Amino acid sequence: MDLQGRRALVIVPAYNEAERIGWVIRDLRRHAPWADVLVVNDGSRDATSERARSAGAKTIDLSANLGIGGAVQTGYRYAFEHGYDFAFQFDGDGQHRARRLPDLVRPLMDGEADLVVGSRFLRPRGTTATGMRLVGIKFISLLVSCLLRRRITDPTSGFRAAGRRAICLFAKDYPQDYPEPESLVQVWRQGLRTREVPAAMRRRLRGNSSIGAWSGCYYMAKVALAVVMQGVKSPIPLEKEASR
Amino acid sequence: MSLVQDVMLLVLAIVLLGSTLGLIRNRRLREEYALLWVCTGLMLLAFAAFPTTIFTVAQWLGINHVVLMMLPCFLFLMAIVMHYSVVITKHSDCERSLVQETALLKDEVRELQEQVRSLLSSAGQGGKTDSPRPPDRK
Repeated sequence: MDLQGRRALVIVPAYNEAERIGWVIRDLRRHAPWADVLVVNDGSRDATSERARSAGAKTIDLSANLGIGGAVQTGYRYAFEHGYDFAFQFDGDGQHRARRLPDLVRPLMDGEADLVVGSRFLRPRGTTATGMRLVGIKFISLLVSCLLRRRITDPTSGFRAAGRRAICLFAKDYPQDYPEPESLVQVWRQGLRTREVPAAMRRRLRGNSSIGAWSGCYYMAKVALAVVMQGVKSPIPLEKEASR
Repeated sequence: MSLVQDVMLLVLAIVLLGSTLGLIRNRRLREEYALLWVCTGLMLLAFAAFPTTIFTVAQWLGINHVVLMMLPCFLFLMAIVMHYSVVITKHSDCERSLVQETALLKDEVRELQEQVRSLLSSAGQGGKTDSPRPPDRK
């Protein structure tokens, strides 16, 4: 992948991922050597930080557990301060594929979008979610699509690439409760462009999603509320530093 | 108002004022909030000392049932709770930002330490080898 002199950072939020993190970093270094890797250790109680460092990734340790939103935002702040042109979000649990990163960055390079989301549900690569999870994702995507008045197939995907303007926005303000769907609405409110590209993901190999099937309905209601609230918030001013 | 009610109100006012003063003395209450509770306590004390004032106030507000004086009290409490929600939001944002900032600074310190170390070692070797890249943080 030739970035034409521009710099890319892969933000890997990790919470108690000691078992998987080394593997994830090796995957990134093998398939995306053109990007720097930043692991944001979200106050893990296991050896996530040590494993990440010994695998050769730059690692930042948060002194308290901030949740996925706070961890990812730390990465965006780092990307912003260090002048990166592109920042990827890449889960520390191994469900995303480093080989697919070029697909994400291409629309940014061509100036077609400010935020690119890897979707499990765009053809031709098929889906990996099942059962109630799929119903939940469909519901959220319907809601977000209605708000944005365009089709969004995978609003909960955390496999993303952000351009300089989106980095600048997220460094200043990033949703904390349900950041993936909320940030789509936020980006839209801010007048930035989002693009979805097909991206297959692996099944979670270990552990499970932060969403239990038990509290599914309650969760849906909270996400719906958070997403709608995000649509009501007024945009924040982005200064010239965004367009470097 | 009966004597019992009056005494109860008096006791309540004194307890409120007393605990406010106690908290201020122990520096566990900020002046901003202390003022609010002192005012509330004094108001209760005034109502206890001069029970007729509560009827007068009710009349001003066009409330002809004293029990309905609960309504302004309720609104007052709602406003306080709302205020606290705002304060909590502000504090959690601030806290998150601080955690992030310290983590970023810790990383920068680590970077600088490494640069100093490599500078020192290269100076020891007669100043040869490549000089480390300066940090491009603004």
